[in-house]
Amino acid sequence: MNLPTGQPHSRPGEAARRFYELVWPLRADVLRVARILSGNFTDAEDLAQQTLLKAFAGIDQFAEGTNVKAWLMTILRHARVDRLRAAAPEGTTVSLDALDDPLADPHTDPAETGAWGNADEALAAFSDQQVIDALQDLPENIRMTLLLVDVQQMDHHEAATILEVPVGTVKSRTHRGRAMLRRALHPIAREHRLIRETHK
Amino acid sequence: MTSQPHNQTPDDTPPPLDQATARRLARLGTMPVDTRTLDHRLAAVIPPRPRALPAQRTWLRPLRAVAALLLMAGLVGALVYTLSSGPAQASVAVMAQVHEDIVSGKTPVMQVDSIDAANRELSKQWPDSPAVPNVPQQHVMACCMKSVKNKRVACVLLKSRDIPITLTVANASDIKRPTTPGVEHRGVTYQVQTTGNLNMITTRRNDRWICLIAQLPADELMDIAAKLQF
Repeated sequence: MNLPTGQPHSRPGEAARRFYELVWPLRADVLRVARILSGNFTDAEDLAQQTLLKAFAGIDQFAEGTNVKAWLMTILRHARVDRLRAAAPEGTTVSLDALDDPLADPHTDPAETGAWGNADEALAAFSDQQVIDALQDLPENIRMTLLLVDVQQMDHHEAATILEVPVGTVKSRTHRGRAMLRRALHPIAREHRLIRETHK
Repeated sequence: MTSQPHNQTPDDTPPPLDQATARRLARLGTMPVDTRTLDHRLAAVIPPRPRALPAQRTWLRPLRAVAALLLMAGLVGALVYTLSSGPAQASVAVMAQVHEDIVSGKTPVMQVDSIDAANRELSKQWPDSPAVPNVPQQHVMACCMKSVKNKRVACVLLKSRDIPITLTVANASDIKRPTTPGVEHRGVTYQVQTTGNLNMITTRRNDRWICLIAQLPADELMDIAAKLQF
């Protein structure tokens, strides 16, 4: 996938026309993903602006007829990684592959047993903000995978291209991420009695 | 609920708990966002939307000037007609646009989590706004004021089975009475209209005009309308 590298080469009017035609209608999607990814409005607007300006600068490199949303999500992901690296203390490295959190055992972990009952109803009781807050507890790459696959409803191949990982990795991250999200939501669910107590 | 085997591979059909989690996450995909600040920031950097016709077609300019004059006269006439014609016609096309603008984030909205909160926010913008009736089982997402043919309406974005629904309320006297025959449902008469994959039902109750529009069957929308608490 071609990523933007600089200013648009074609006439500015042509770049603006393509931008407004292809990218502008998707700016709410970009802002929504940035909002969930960064967890707050200010960082989300900065990230969405950076993404859309990069898209404008590189609109010449977008091949019309291909998936513009996938192209935007790729730019957004790169912009997010750049921002995380820039914000990290000097001399440290930013690991985006924090997969050391072991997958819960469904037979013993309270967040994975039958405690959820009607899971759809229990999960629907959480506000969007509670789900977004819980997503902040997940490693960056897992959060981004869930955003692409479950929130943006992209297929595993599209997500794999954006994340530059094999399809199998996307599948395992999706499975792992959903379990980690439930584990992050579990204490709130218990506090608000949204689930049954099965373990003392 | 049956526990899933721990060693289930990701290639298998996701366990029910995973499917439920995916459905909850999918709801975030239609979460309303306010793009106004972003739009202003982008407008400061990116050139405005170019005009549709290339500038070199100079021979078209006089014709375009005449056309613009005629269009302006038509618009003024239409405006005068609208202002003097009393109740507005809330067509399915207009309401579909209202719905799509809210869902896509094009219309700025206030995020709320209950009808009470929506009524509080709406009354700040429009003190005489008709109260939005309570919807017991629907998830309330956001609200906003809109103008339909110069008449103010209150909109609330709801969700049912993860599908966004726009509930619009106006003073009944502001909206034209339909001329088409209605559909009877649980003792209430509804007008049912369709555009694309959207169904719209409208009715009048307690001096209010009520409209529900969504990608849901009309029967389901009428069931929701029947549960409104005034």
